[in-house]
Amino acid sequence: MAFLLVSIDEDDKRLRRYLNEMTFPFPVARLNAERAERLMGFDNLPATFYVDAGGVVRYYLNGSESHGDSPVRVSWYIDQVKQLGK
Amino acid sequence: MTKLVTKHSAFMITAAVCVTAAAALAQSPARDQLASGNALWDQRLAKSAIAALEAAARDRNTAAEAHEALGRIYTFKGWQQDNVFPGWHDEPSLRERALAELKAAVAADPARASAQEALRVAEGFAAADRVDPALPRPEIRALDAKLQSFQTAGSDPKSGSDPAAAADIAGAVEARAKAQADPAPFFTGAQILIDRGEYDRAIAMAQRGAAASDRFIDENLSAYMMTGKSQGSYARGRSTAADLVGWAQFLRKNYATAAATLGEAERLSQGLDFVNQFHLGELARAQNVLARARDHYLDALSLSGGPAPLRQRATDALAALQAGTSTAIGFDAWLATELTRRRDDRKAAALKSLVDRPLPALALTDVDGKPYDASGLRGKVVLVNFFASW
Repeated sequence: MAFLLVSIDEDDKRLRRYLNEMTFPFPVARLNAERAERLMGFDNLPATFYVDAGGVVRYYLNGSESHGDSPVRVSWYIDQVKQLGK
Repeated sequence: MTKLVTKHSAFMITAAVCVTAAAALAQSPARDQLASGNALWDQRLAKSAIAALEAAARDRNTAAEAHEALGRIYTFKGWQQDNVFPGWHDEPSLRERALAELKAAVAADPARASAQEALRVAEGFAAADRVDPALPRPEIRALDAKLQSFQTAGSDPKSGSDPAAAADIAGAVEARAKAQADPAPFFTGAQILIDRGEYDRAIAMAQRGAAASDRFIDENLSAYMMTGKSQGSYARGRSTAADLVGWAQFLRKNYATAAATLGEAERLSQGLDFVNQFHLGELARAQNVLARARDHYLDALSLSGGPAPLRQRATDALAALQAGTSTAIGFDAWLATELTRRRDDRKAAALKSLVDRPLPALALTDVDGKPYDASGLRGKVVLVNFFASW
C-alpha cells in the first residue's frame, strides 16, 4: 500500500518551511487548490481519500476526524479497503 | 614572624581559592539548568524546558539568559506556534508573560543585545495586536442606525402605504450602500418594507441586494482563499435575496411564485438556513400540506441560529400540528428525538462524497513544480491526503 500527501499551498516558501519542520516519511505532491477542491469535492482540510487497488475511492473524510486521526483508525480504514479488493 | 606572615598569606590565598571554587560549584547547577532548558526547548519539550529555565532564572548569574529564553518560548507560544504542528494553536494568554520575561532579561543585564532585540519583536507583535483589524467606521454605524430606525418606527403595517416614508427608507438604503458596497442595507431595507406591507418595493430592494452581493464578492475575490468559500458567499447573498423575495410573495399569497423562490433559497442554502426553513414551513402550512410543514419546522429547529421569537413560532406551529396526533411520549420528548435524528442525519450526509467513484486524474507536480509521476501507485491501495501548511 502507498501514502501520497498532496499540498494545495500556494506559498512556496511557506510550504517548504512546513515540510522541513514536519519531515514527512511519505512522498509529497502539489496540486492547484482550486482544481483540487473542484475535482475532489472537499471544502475542508485535511481531506483524506482511501483508494482501493482498482483506483476507486472507498472512504472519504472531509476535515480531521473529531475523535482524532489515530493510527488505529487509519489502519482500520486501510484494512477495510484491502478487504474490498479481495 | 615573616614565616608566620607568609603562612598566613598562604592561608588567605587558599581560603580565597576555596571561596571561588565554592561559588563556581554553587553556580553550576543553574548553568546546568540553563543548558538543559535550552536543549529541551530545541526538542520542543515546552513544559520541561520552562521548568528548567525557571530554575535557572532564579540564579543571578543565569537570570538574564534564562529570562530571555523563557521570553522567546512565550513569544513563540503566544504568537507563532499556530502553524508549526497540526493541532497546535497560539496561546494569547502567554503574550503578557513573554513581555514580562524579556523585560526581566533586560533588567538583569541591560547590555544584553539579544534580549533587547527579542523584546522589541515581542513588543511589535503586542502593538500589532492592539490595532483593531477592522476599524469601525463611525459613518457606517450612523447610516446603519438611521436605517434601523425605520424598523422600529414602522411597526404599524397600515403606515406602509405612506410614499414619503418609503422614499425615506430608499434614501437611507442608498446612502448606506454608497458608503460601503456590501448588500446588508438592501436586505435590511427589504425586510423593513416587508414589515410595512410594501411587497413590490421589498422585492425590488432584495433583488438589488443580490446584485450588490455578487459585485462585492467579485471585487474582493482574492480574500476568500478557497473557491469553496467564495462560492459559499455568493450562494449566501443570493439565498438571502431569494428568501426575502419568496417571503414577500408568500405574504401576497402568490403561493406558486413563493414556492419557487423559497425553494431556490433552500437549494442555495442547502437546506441549512433557519429562516428559510421556517418560511417554507409557513408556506406548506398555508397550503395545508401538513406533513411537509412539519418537516420544515423540524429542519428549522434542528439548525442553530434564527431569532428567538421565530424559533418560538416554529415550536408553537409544530405543537399545533402535533396536537391532533396521539403519541405515546409527550411533545417535548417527541421534539427532542426528532431534532436529534435530524442532526445525526446531517452529520452522516457531511460524508458527501466521491465514495465508490474512481479517483479523478490529478495533474500533480512535485514540490519543485515538475510533473509528479504517480505511476508507482497503480494497483495499490493508496491513502491520498490533501493538506496545506496554513
